[in-house]
Amino acid sequence: MIVDAIAFYSMAAVAVTGAVLVVTLRNAVHSALALGLSLAGVAGIFAALGADFLFAAQLLIYVGAIAVLIVFVLMLLGRASDLRLRQVNQQWAAALLICAITGVGLFHLAKLFGGIGAAAASRPTTRPLGLLMLGDYVLCFELVSLVLLAALLGAIFFSHKDAP
Amino acid sequence: MNGPAAPAVKRTGIMLSATRYWPTEIWKSPWSLPRYRAGAAWLAGILLGICAVGAAAGELSAWGGRLLALLESTGLPAYATAWIWLLFKLACVIGVIVANGLWAVWWERKISAHMQSRFGPMYAGGFHGWAQTIFDTIKLLLKEDVTPAAADRVMHALAPVIAIAPCVMAFAPVLFGTDLAAANLDIGVLYVFAFAGVSVIGVVMAGWASGNKYSLLGGLRAAAQIVSYELPRGFSVVPVLMFAGSLDLAVIDRAQAGYWLGFLPRWFIFYPVVGQLSFLFFLIASVAETNRTPFDIPEAESELVAGFHTEFSGMKWSLFFLTEYGYVLLSSFLLAVFFLGGGAAPLPGLGFIPSWIWMTGKAMLMMFVFLWFRWTFPRLRVDQLMDFNWKFLLPWCFANIGLAGLILYLLGTR
Repeated sequence: MIVDAIAFYSMAAVAVTGAVLVVTLRNAVHSALALGLSLAGVAGIFAALGADFLFAAQLLIYVGAIAVLIVFVLMLLGRASDLRLRQVNQQWAAALLICAITGVGLFHLAKLFGGIGAAAASRPTTRPLGLLMLGDYVLCFELVSLVLLAALLGAIFFSHKDAP
Repeated sequence: MNGPAAPAVKRTGIMLSATRYWPTEIWKSPWSLPRYRAGAAWLAGILLGICAVGAAAGELSAWGGRLLALLESTGLPAYATAWIWLLFKLACVIGVIVANGLWAVWWERKISAHMQSRFGPMYAGGFHGWAQTIFDTIKLLLKEDVTPAAADRVMHALAPVIAIAPCVMAFAPVLFGTDLAAANLDIGVLYVFAFAGVSVIGVVMAGWASGNKYSLLGGLRAAAQIVSYELPRGFSVVPVLMFAGSLDLAVIDRAQAGYWLGFLPRWFIFYPVVGQLSFLFFLIASVAETNRTPFDIPEAESELVAGFHTEFSGMKWSLFFLTEYGYVLLSSFLLAVFFLGGGAAPLPGLGFIPSWIWMTGKAMLMMFVFLWFRWTFPRLRVDQLMDFNWKFLLPWCFANIGLAGLILYLLGTR
């Protein structure tokens, strides 16, 4: 379908444009907002591919919460130099080389799995996802929850005033 | 004898001066006033008329189906039909949001006025100032659009757009009656919450881009508050999702049809303890999400001038208010669908009135509760707001989910 392709590639363009803006804009707040745009583009890619639950979760968590918190921290703890900061230093050529090598490697990896596509039209994924998470993969699910809980408690512990 | 003549009737109202008084005594027996009785009769007549028109018109979703069939019979190519139908639905949703802005602002003014023993708008348009908000909109359109010199121009102009666009998108799966929604999404509830949470980026942008310390503080407060209250708002409806077994708003709507014992509707608010608790939690979190008093610290007038929209004027400013009232309407419809049975009639035998009238009526009832809240409660302080959310609301939401699971386990339905 041509409409599916238009949706996918336009959303991919939004995600990539946002990502490029994050690392090129001089104003840190603009960069944070561009990060939100990029994450919204990723959510759009999920939607274009028919992954409805992932789309809503990405939008809810990454755009609605994480991007907002990054902007929040920038505003609360920002310095005047954040507004005119150069994003690159003298090592930009080496960084570009590493990015190019990684990009080529990722491209070859993606080509390896490029032929895998959904055979039928997309259908709602919430129920199968829930059954898998609390059925076959319940141990992994609970372990991930435990790791997140530990990270949460650690953050509270270290940010507390009386921390050692 | 000198001095003023004694009044013929002893007046018990509040004396303003020797000759003027505020007639509070009429509220002791308002039904004795002919105009009061006439007004009540008008109101009852209007409501009955709406019901009669609704009963004659039938379900709006059936009319939508007929319109789509008519569009398909014109011989246009399939994609053209799909696009025209999509644009038609989009126009309907945007029309609802804009009309709601006009209606809700007027209603809020009247309610706030009556709660403070005033009249509110009385002149524009004739009858109770019904045209006041229309003239206000014209004024706002003609107003000078000021951008402060210290502002980030692009961000300042973009902020209201980023605030209102997710509001319009969040309305896609909202049911205006049984099977009457712009899009039928399996993840409806999650979709609405996801888009409703994105608007805060526009608010934060507005606060930062204005180049004003009050705006910045307002934006910061909005970010902290909305991100915090999203959690209890999402978790408070989990019991409803467990009972209905789906995230689809249409399924949740249908799950509440029918009656217990032949008269008590099977609405989720009537589920013992769990239903009332989750209704209350969702209502409180929704008020906080819409930045309205008692949770309006992002725009606290006595502390922050007007908070994040201090430096906005004209249509940019009114877009923020359109967003706020859009979210009030969204929360009202969500409350109606989740807890008040959606398009189901409250008593058996009233099914001849179509579902869209029940749905809209319940949503308007909930909107009245929102306005009532705003003009009744004092504003919370920032630390009280956060304490209330993290130490009271969220733990009890989790307890409520556990209770719902226990009920489902004991009933053995799932």
